[in-house]
Amino acid sequence: MKLINFEFLKLRKKSRGWLGPILVFILIMTAFPLTVEILNKNLEQAFFSILWIATLLVMMLATEDIFLEDYNDGSLEQMAIKYDSLSGLVATKIFVYWVLIGIPISLIGALYGFGITRSSESALQILPILLITTYIFLNVFSFGNALSLTKGSILGTLITMPLVLPLLVVLGKVVIAINLGISFLGFLFLLLGILSIIILILPMIISFVIKAHLE
Amino acid sequence: MIKKFIHQFASPKTYLFQVDRAYPYIFYASLFVYIGSLFWGLFLTSEDFVQGNSYRIIYLHVPASFISQSLYLAMAFASAIFLIWKVKLSAYLVKSIAPIGAVTTFIALVSGSIWGIPTWGTWWAWDARIISTLILFIMYLGLISLHDSFTDYEKADKFLAILVIVGSVNIPIIKMSVEWWSTLHQTASITVTEKPAIDASMLYPLFGSIIGFSGIVFCLVILSSKLQILLREKNKSWVKDYV
Repeated sequence: MKLINFEFLKLRKKSRGWLGPILVFILIMTAFPLTVEILNKNLEQAFFSILWIATLLVMMLATEDIFLEDYNDGSLEQMAIKYDSLSGLVATKIFVYWVLIGIPISLIGALYGFGITRSSESALQILPILLITTYIFLNVFSFGNALSLTKGSILGTLITMPLVLPLLVVLGKVVIAINLGISFLGFLFLLLGILSIIILILPMIISFVIKAHLE
Repeated sequence: MIKKFIHQFASPKTYLFQVDRAYPYIFYASLFVYIGSLFWGLFLTSEDFVQGNSYRIIYLHVPASFISQSLYLAMAFASAIFLIWKVKLSAYLVKSIAPIGAVTTFIALVSGSIWGIPTWGTWWAWDARIISTLILFIMYLGLISLHDSFTDYEKADKFLAILVIVGSVNIPIIKMSVEWWSTLHQTASITVTEKPAIDASMLYPLFGSIIGFSGIVFCLVILSSKLQILLREKNKSWVKDYV
């Protein structure tokens, strides 16, 4: 609990770290209707794909310095010595990022969904999907940024983007289900399953990578 | 006996000498098989009823796509061996397979495009199999650039192995993409469990070409791993004697 509070405080004090990604998300979602003719019906069709891609990009930007600053000032090494499980620390960090960035973005995304598709039903349906998806994205991109810790985020993006593409396919199917009015609970449980595997395994792999960096 | 053989084989020096002895036999045998089955497939089999002569690119396209996925699995296997038993040789193998995998994936993509013009009427479609193969190509390039960005080889080997293993979640998706989605790309004609969906006169040269192409690619892997070993072990005295 102390660790969560500490990490929370650290991220909250750094407003570019958590407010920045949210504002970038709002900017992307606001800019996209400009590129399509306004009041066009195509806006609704394009909305979901823009939403997923914007979420993906923003999560990528948000995790850019999740470990870098701690690594540069040496506190990552100290924490790795102090706490028994580095993977617990990693999982905490990602959780705090999700609370401060993932949840607001999911809410804003659902709000945009309401604003553009004009149906409160589909906005409510994409909210849980967004909550799960942002958490998965944060985990996967933290892995990429841990691998390319000192080498910049382009490399991290290049190597982890292929890993989330299967997820994008599932998200595409969710959109089809929502548009046709079919029950999307199956996809929701599929995403939950992916999430539960990822939050168990990826923090361990990330801590292994960080230990290799600290050697 | 087997354990001793594996232990000896895992040393880069023994590997290099063993492979040097076996290399010419594998190379000429697989070249002979590949050219033979190309000749058989291109000149001795009949035309396809629907596709005419254009189907004959199958003898390049199918082996290349088969190999491009198999090489990734081989990399994942070698990475697991490297991470579990810390065998240096398998790290060298992972590094040396990556560029060859990229090249074979590229061959599969280009030959598929060329085949697409007469049969589908387009050289590119946003189809599950084509996209996932392109992703595989980008994954190979990402692996190469990850390894290149670290000057510390030990670190680079470790990270590369981790990424290869995590990235192997995409392989079943690439493999099954033609069956899970309704796509333009046809489903696999040859599977282990079912009767092949193509005629025997085309099947045997196809098998021959897959075996021959695999052999040639295997030889490329051998050459590339030799380069890798000589590069990494350049401070050892046996390398000076060898060169």
